[in-house]
Amino acid sequence: MALVHTNFYADTGASAKQTESQIIHPSERSVHNEFSDEAKSELLDECEKQFSQLQKLQNEILLADTESSDGESSEIVNRLSALSAELEQWQETEPKLMPTNPEILLAVGKEELQTLNTQLKMVLSSAQVKRDALKDTLKREQTWLQEKKEVLNAVSEKVSELRLESEGLSEHSVLVDMKRKIQTVKDYQSRLMDTLSDMLTDHFPLPEEQANTSKRKRTALPDPGRHLISLSEILELLTNKTLESPHEPYVTMDESFWPPYTEMLLRNGIATRHPEDSTKIRLENFY
Amino acid sequence: MALLTPFNKMPELNTANILLVENEEQFQTKLADVIVNYEKQINVNVRLARKLPLPIENADTRPRIDLVVFIVNLIYERSLQAMESSIKHLDSGFFVGKVCFLVTGARCGSVSHERLLSVRKLAASLHCPMLCAEDQTTEGVRAAALRLLSIVKVSAGLVPTATALYLSALTRCTLPAELDQD
Repeated sequence: MALVHTNFYADTGASAKQTESQIIHPSERSVHNEFSDEAKSELLDECEKQFSQLQKLQNEILLADTESSDGESSEIVNRLSALSAELEQWQETEPKLMPTNPEILLAVGKEELQTLNTQLKMVLSSAQVKRDALKDTLKREQTWLQEKKEVLNAVSEKVSELRLESEGLSEHSVLVDMKRKIQTVKDYQSRLMDTLSDMLTDHFPLPEEQANTSKRKRTALPDPGRHLISLSEILELLTNKTLESPHEPYVTMDESFWPPYTEMLLRNGIATRHPEDSTKIRLENFY
Repeated sequence: MALLTPFNKMPELNTANILLVENEEQFQTKLADVIVNYEKQINVNVRLARKLPLPIENADTRPRIDLVVFIVNLIYERSLQAMESSIKHLDSGFFVGKVCFLVTGARCGSVSHERLLSVRKLAASLHCPMLCAEDQTTEGVRAAALRLLSIVKVSAGLVPTATALYLSALTRCTLPAELDQD
C-alpha cells in the first residue's frame, strides 16, 4: 500500500520493455499509521461506497457504448452534448462534507497546512531572491547616478570657467590672472625652500657638537668647525652659480666645505665633479 | 479492437496513464523518462507506441488511457502523415480533452511552414491543445514533460474541481481568422 509502482513500456507488442521503480509514498504511510480502527473503518466504508458507485457508472458506460457504437455523429455535436452534460452536473452537485471523525479531520487539516507551508516557503524564497535582485539593481542605479552627477558637476564647472574666460578676456584681466599665477608659483617655491631648509637643519647639522664632546679631539684637530659652512649654504652656492653663470657652473671647493657632505652630494648624484679639476664641483642638471 | 476507447476500463486508484505516439521514437523515450522520474505523488504509467491502432494482444493488460499525446516532428513529412493516419483509430470519446498534440522541430529554419499550419488546423478542428516543445535540450524536455503531467493529472480526474473537458475548452488550439479561410 505504501509502495507506488511507476512504469512505462512500449505498447508495440513483441518489443515490450518494462521499467519499474518503487517509491515510498510518505503522506499515505503516515496517515495509515496514525488512525485508530474506528476512523480507518469509516474511511474504508467511504471508499467502498465510492468504488461501488464507480463500478455502477462504468457498467452503464459500457452498456451505453455497445448501444450507440454505430451512431455516427460529428465531433462538434459530441462536444456540445458533453459540455452541456458537464454543466448540468456542476449545477446539480452539492458540496460534500467531510467525515466528522475528529481524527480524520485532524489528519486532513495537517496535510493541508503542510502543503500550505511548503507553498508559502517557496513564495518566501522567491520573494527574497527578487528582493535581493532589486537591491542589487538599486545599488547599481545609485552608483550610476552618482557618477552622472559627478560628470555633470565637472562639466558645468568647466562651462562656467570657459564662460568667465570668454567674458572677461581683457588685457587687465590677463595681467591680473598672470600675476595671480606667478604669486601662486612663488608661494609654492618659498614653501619648498622652507621645507628644504628645515629638513637640512634637522638632519644635516655641522659637526660642531661632536667636536665639543671630546676635549682630546679638539686639541688634536685645530678647530676645523669654525670655518665650515652648512649643507644648505653649499647647495645655495651651487644653485646660484648654476643660475648666474650657466656656461661656467663649477664651484671651487675650499676648506669650508665639510668633505662628508660634498661626498654625499657626489654619491647621490646631486653634484658632479669637474672632469679635469677635482677641486671643482657643479650642480647636476635636473632638467 | 480497431478503436481505442477511453471509458471501457475501470480507472485505478491514484493512477494516470499517458500514451505517447511518435513515429520516429526519438523524443518519446526521453520524455517518458523525465515524466516517470519527476512525478512522485501519483502513479504515472507511460506507454509508448509508434502508431495506432495498438496491437490487440495487449488490449487486456492495457490500462485505461487518460491522455493520448501525438508527437509530431516537423522535420519529417512522414511524421505528420503517420499522425494523421493514427488519429483515425481513436474513439471520439477521446476528443473531449484526452488528446494533445506535441510539436517538435518548429524552430528549425528549413522546415516548411505548411506542416506546422496543418497540425494547427487539425488541432483546432478537433478542439485539442497543441504544445510546442524543444527536444534537443534537457530543459526543453523537462518543460514539455511538466506540461504533459499537468494535463494528464486533470484528464485522469486527479485534480478536484477540474475536468478534462473543462481544461480543453480553455487550452484548445485556435486559429486566427485569416488563416482559417485559406
